[in-house]
Amino acid sequence: MSARNNSPSSRHTYLVCYDISNDRRLRKVFKICKDHGTHLQFSVFECDLNPRELVQLQRTLKEVIKHDEDQVLFVSLGPSEGRGDRVISALGLPYSRFDAPCYVV
Amino acid sequence: MNASYYRTARALHQHPAALWDLEYLYEPLPIPEDHPELDLFGFQRASHPHNAPTAVLSTREPHLTKSAANDSLPARQLNEYIYCPRLFYYEHVEGIFLDNADTERGSAIHQKIDRGRGALPKAQNPDAAPNPTPSADNTPTPPESAAPPETETIHSRSAMMSSERLGVVAKMDLIEVQMALIPQSTHNWQPQSTANLTKKTTKKALPNTDQPDLFAAPPTDSTSPDITDTAVPQPQLLHVKLHQHKVQQVTPVDYKVGSPRIGPEANELWDADKMQLGLQILVLRDNGYHCNEGVIYYRATKQRVKLQMTPEVETWIIQNIAEARRTAASPTMPPPLINSPKCVRCSLAPVCLPDETRLLATNARLPENPPSPTRIPLPPRRLIAARDDERALYLNTQGCRVGIKSERLTIKDGDTTLDEIRLSDVTHVSLFGNIQLTTQAIQELCEQEIPIAYFSMGGWFYGLKNVHTRIRQFAIASNPVQCLALARKIVQAKIRNHRTMLMRLHIDPPSTAIRGMKEIAGRVPDARGLDELLGMEGAAAALYFQNLSGMIKIGQNDPDDDIPGLDISTALQKKLRTEKETFTFDFNQRRRRPPTDPVNALLSLAYSLLAKDCTIASLAVGFDPYIGFYHQPRHGRPALALDLMEEFRPLIAESAVLTAINNRMITPGHFVRAGDAVNLTPIGRKAFFQAYEQRMNTLITHPIFDYKVSYRRVLELQARLLARWLTGEIPDYIPMVTR
Ligand code: SF4
Repeated sequence: MSARNNSPSSRHTYLVCYDISNDRRLRKVFKICKDHGTHLQFSVFECDLNPRELVQLQRTLKEVIKHDEDQVLFVSLGPSEGRGDRVISALGLPYSRFDAPCYVV
Repeated sequence: MNASYYRTARALHQHPAALWDLEYLYEPLPIPEDHPELDLFGFQRASHPHNAPTAVLSTREPHLTKSAANDSLPARQLNEYIYCPRLFYYEHVEGIFLDNADTERGSAIHQKIDRGRGALPKAQNPDAAPNPTPSADNTPTPPESAAPPETETIHSRSAMMSSERLGVVAKMDLIEVQMALIPQSTHNWQPQSTANLTKKTTKKALPNTDQPDLFAAPPTDSTSPDITDTAVPQPQLLHVKLHQHKVQQVTPVDYKVGSPRIGPEANELWDADKMQLGLQILVLRDNGYHCNEGVIYYRATKQRVKLQMTPEVETWIIQNIAEARRTAASPTMPPPLINSPKCVRCSLAPVCLPDETRLLATNARLPENPPSPTRIPLPPRRLIAARDDERALYLNTQGCRVGIKSERLTIKDGDTTLDEIRLSDVTHVSLFGNIQLTTQAIQELCEQEIPIAYFSMGGWFYGLKNVHTRIRQFAIASNPVQCLALARKIVQAKIRNHRTMLMRLHIDPPSTAIRGMKEIAGRVPDARGLDELLGMEGAAAALYFQNLSGMIKIGQNDPDDDIPGLDISTALQKKLRTEKETFTFDFNQRRRRPPTDPVNALLSLAYSLLAKDCTIASLAVGFDPYIGFYHQPRHGRPALALDLMEEFRPLIAESAVLTAINNRMITPGHFVRAGDAVNLTPIGRKAFFQAYEQRMNTLITHPIFDYKVSYRRVLELQARLLARWLTGEIPDYIPMVTR
């Protein structure tokens, strides 16, 4: 259809965690992750990405981080849809995921 | 750096092991260690402003107009032609590019490489032998001298050159340049060399003979022959401090994401790569360089594979250039590949639908042509995602304002932010009523090809491509015979789907109506005109809507209500009872303007949502949604979308309405009356959007292709099949009829 939704394989969920040693870069990394996923915790994002979007995110992050000081981890949690159980559960404050079939504002 | 240059729609033979490994994107290219002072690499040379702009070769793709077959073809396009002629046609004639992970990775590599500035030491032909027909055995032998010249290898990145003889522009990732030390005694080779160059070469004017320093200064323009191919800047001399070296031989090196083909004896180049690299060699030769072989570096296996230029390879290349030109000039698209593994990697597969097109082109699955035992067609592979990752965005809060912040849409009511939604999560945006989109938001949405539908105004924002599809659309829309043929199919499919609905969902399927509808559907192919067809459609619709209320199973004794634990709470029951006094889901008759009861209000909303989705689907395929075949053009009516919609009315719209009512997603409390008209409240509308989108996202087994896809995908598939029928690729449009 459009240039965007043509990936034959659907999205996977990734937990993206980072450790950035410099404030300026940290802000940039935060902003990039915010454009790709949901902010879960201090430096943890949950991102649903198809293979193309993953490459794109990694590319963008690579441009920003300093390779000998910072680290970004990608933890794959499998396909975003059709997983029986949630792979993330929470203690304390609730973790809730928005699962409606569309956005209505 | 022009990223779109490398938005090729395929990346060959990607090695799966390399899929998640991105390190290679940043692996630096080799730098000649012994000569760090060589100023041949990107950023450093920017400090030589006198080189700019002509000395820096453009890394932009020359603008190409496809109409003229004699335009220069980029080597990359010819690579694609060898990979798949249809892909070449889609990208370079129809202008459709799509990215997938492979192409994204490829463009990352090239982005890295493109930081080079594309300059190459000037070509010289020190040995006086003329070289009009380059061949493999014409190796550059330095002329005899007392001591063999020392050689030195330097690199040039991202150079672009053209050959008029071939009509090709080639961009080279990397060129290894072998420099030979010029023995002082042989300075007198130079003067002759100009005359010995091939006629066709355009960019090899040698500077004045008494200029011993070959790299000291760019040639003066007056001595250069006219550059006829204006799209390509000429290579210029570099500022190189090696005064005593000359170019002896050059080797283009191209970077590929994937792995080489495993040949019987050694690793081999893929044909498409052979084409591209071969062209680079020929283009370099035509520019006066000695070049006999090229190298492809396959990133996945970290292997270099060589190509030796031979007369056979050259003939093969020239033949294919001619064929590619013929293809580009033709109005018909080449057929898809047959069951090829290339399609799995091809990012255009969802547009191209290779297996589906093949299947329907042979009509193998039609009941009239049962598959012959000799050629049982393979079931199509599902090369499209079963459903969209993205979701529709409905803007329904009156007075809200939508802006953009980074890659997110921000929806604000006054100063409070209602929501932030990432653009990458949105398929399209629908606006109901008084909602403002900022210009920046509109621009960004258009840029990302996200359609915007203004429901209150009936407006659209979207770009159109696929010229050929539209030319056929207009031609057939003005041909009454073909319009009628298509209209019959559409109407028949709709009646059949209506009938199936009644049989499946009616509490007590009405046999008379079902028989009546079957009888009408049987007569549809004999309709002699659109008027007669309209009459048949009306008669069948009447039978259907007379019985629609039998599919609403609320208020009647729902067996679920008797199961303990499944009871709806007494509070809700009480609420329902009080509300029922105002509204009920009784339905007698379809009333459109205005809807006078809740079911009609829901149906009206559902149909307009479906019309929106059909419009989006037809726009995505490249149709003009306002020119239809069955529905005749009328101002502001998306006639084509309405044609496409007929068979889906029962399957999507009415089904969503029934589900919403029967599952109590919509209750009588969700309606308001204004005069005669009954409308949904904003909350009711919101609930219905969810019900509708849920239906759109439902996976079904496609009746013809036998794989699972969502209704939204089916809609898009139908639009593409309609386009295939228009361009004659498949003999018949096959409407969607549920089994
Ligand atoms: S899907 Fe297959 S046939 Fe279609 S363009 Fe791609 S490679 Fe060619």
